[in-house]
Amino acid sequence: MAGKSLPAVNEIDREFWEGAAKGELRLQRCRACGKMQFFPRIACTDCLSGDLEWVPVSGKGKVHTFSLCRVPRNRAFMDEVPIYVAEVELDEGVRMVTRIVGDDRDQVTLGAPVTVTFMETEDPDIKLPVFELA
Amino acid sequence: MLRKKVCLVGYGSTEYSRKSDRPLLSYYAEAMQNAMAQTGLTKKEINGFSMVTQASPDYSPYVAEQLGLELDWVLNGDCGGAGAVCAIRRAADAIEAGYLDVAFIVAGNAFDKNVSHQRVLEYQRANYVDVYGYGGPNTLFALVQRRHMEEYGTTLEQIGKIAVSQRFNAGPNPQALLRTPMTIEDYLNSRLISDPIRLFDCVMPCSGGECVVVASEERAKQITDKPIYLVTDAEKIGFQASNMLPDKTVTGMSVVGEHLFSEMSRDNIDLLAIYDDYPIAVMMQLEDLGYCAKGQGGPFVDDHDLTFAGDFPVNTGGGEISVGQAGLAGGMLHVVEALRQLRGEAGERQVNAAQTALVTGIGWLSYARNLNTTAALILERRS
Repeated sequence: MAGKSLPAVNEIDREFWEGAAKGELRLQRCRACGKMQFFPRIACTDCLSGDLEWVPVSGKGKVHTFSLCRVPRNRAFMDEVPIYVAEVELDEGVRMVTRIVGDDRDQVTLGAPVTVTFMETEDPDIKLPVFELA
Repeated sequence: MLRKKVCLVGYGSTEYSRKSDRPLLSYYAEAMQNAMAQTGLTKKEINGFSMVTQASPDYSPYVAEQLGLELDWVLNGDCGGAGAVCAIRRAADAIEAGYLDVAFIVAGNAFDKNVSHQRVLEYQRANYVDVYGYGGPNTLFALVQRRHMEEYGTTLEQIGKIAVSQRFNAGPNPQALLRTPMTIEDYLNSRLISDPIRLFDCVMPCSGGECVVVASEERAKQITDKPIYLVTDAEKIGFQASNMLPDKTVTGMSVVGEHLFSEMSRDNIDLLAIYDDYPIAVMMQLEDLGYCAKGQGGPFVDDHDLTFAGDFPVNTGGGEISVGQAGLAGGMLHVVEALRQLRGEAGERQVNAAQTALVTGIGWLSYARNLNTTAALILERRS
């Protein structure tokens, strides 16, 4: 039986996962035009420059939308349902797909302020950025 | 842009099944055979071929070898659920350029143990979505639907009316896997899959195949006395693709609609075949196509009868949510239903005096946006 899904860390996004493992949320910023982007890519989605840097961000944002997932694609997650899958809009102006965690997660609403935290996975080197109600 | 001399001259469908171990290629062969029987075309006369697919081993040259086709033009149709509409557009381009005069466009799905058809998840879906335990497209559309409901006050009853109407339309359709009448209570009481998406919002994967035949006007007139003209068509790929704060409730169909309806009034469309992986997707497309203002899809649905007998017929054969989704034949199903209606072959569900139809295709759910591919075409019967 396969386990819970884990990222296949690659050359493009290694810094993201290294930051997450240390409890730091990082985004890509284009040195040429200043654009912040997520998910991590090989080039800037505005100017196509490959000169990208990683910058730590506040980890603060608000909930844009969410769903209570009861039937995960990977059935290994069934022990956690309903899973509060969400999109969070970071203060830095990008949106991330993530999860809302915490005992009060059933209080989540659109626009609710949230703060990043990092969730352990089955791989000790991988932590997932997730969000708690602020 | 108006198309000049391109027609859809026939189609071939197979039966659909939820449980079948038939080989995948047999569905392609059967859909093509049925299209050949309808059009009277022999294999020698087919000089263009497109498999609508996202994965090997469905490459057009491979299938051509398996089925013994000798061709002047092939295309791997991509663009996911918009693939059928996009492939017809590409074939029309090539026909107008004179490279070929008869193209078969084919798509299908099977539970074939000998075919490894698993689509590789895009890296961003694998690394940044699946790791959270999401529910595939059900969750991705749930994230869209919640925004629509909260921003515009859209209700479950309004969204559910689309599912209920389409189930009614499936009643007289022998191809449909789900024909039992459904009430709005049935819809509301169906179990939650990924809140607010529930069971009766979801398509049912099945096996089956579809084929559509595209031809030059000159050949069309020799092949059939019911040529259906491609009037105009457009696509938008990657709508809002570089926007890190995209509007989740607006799709590329808003741009597609502007193109289409600069050539023809939307009020002249007799029936709509709207790609329906979810009812909320149908509602958003109706808005984006300009049938009502953004966010007014709920009241619009309240005000209209969406059945084949109604004032605004949508998905007159039941759509994918009632017929079943045979992989990328899901996009083809809408083209075929429009052809049945315009040729007067829709039986009990025939829309009275149907002369024009709008067909849409959507697909490729993108990271934190909505649809990466959107395309549509207008078909017309000319007497």
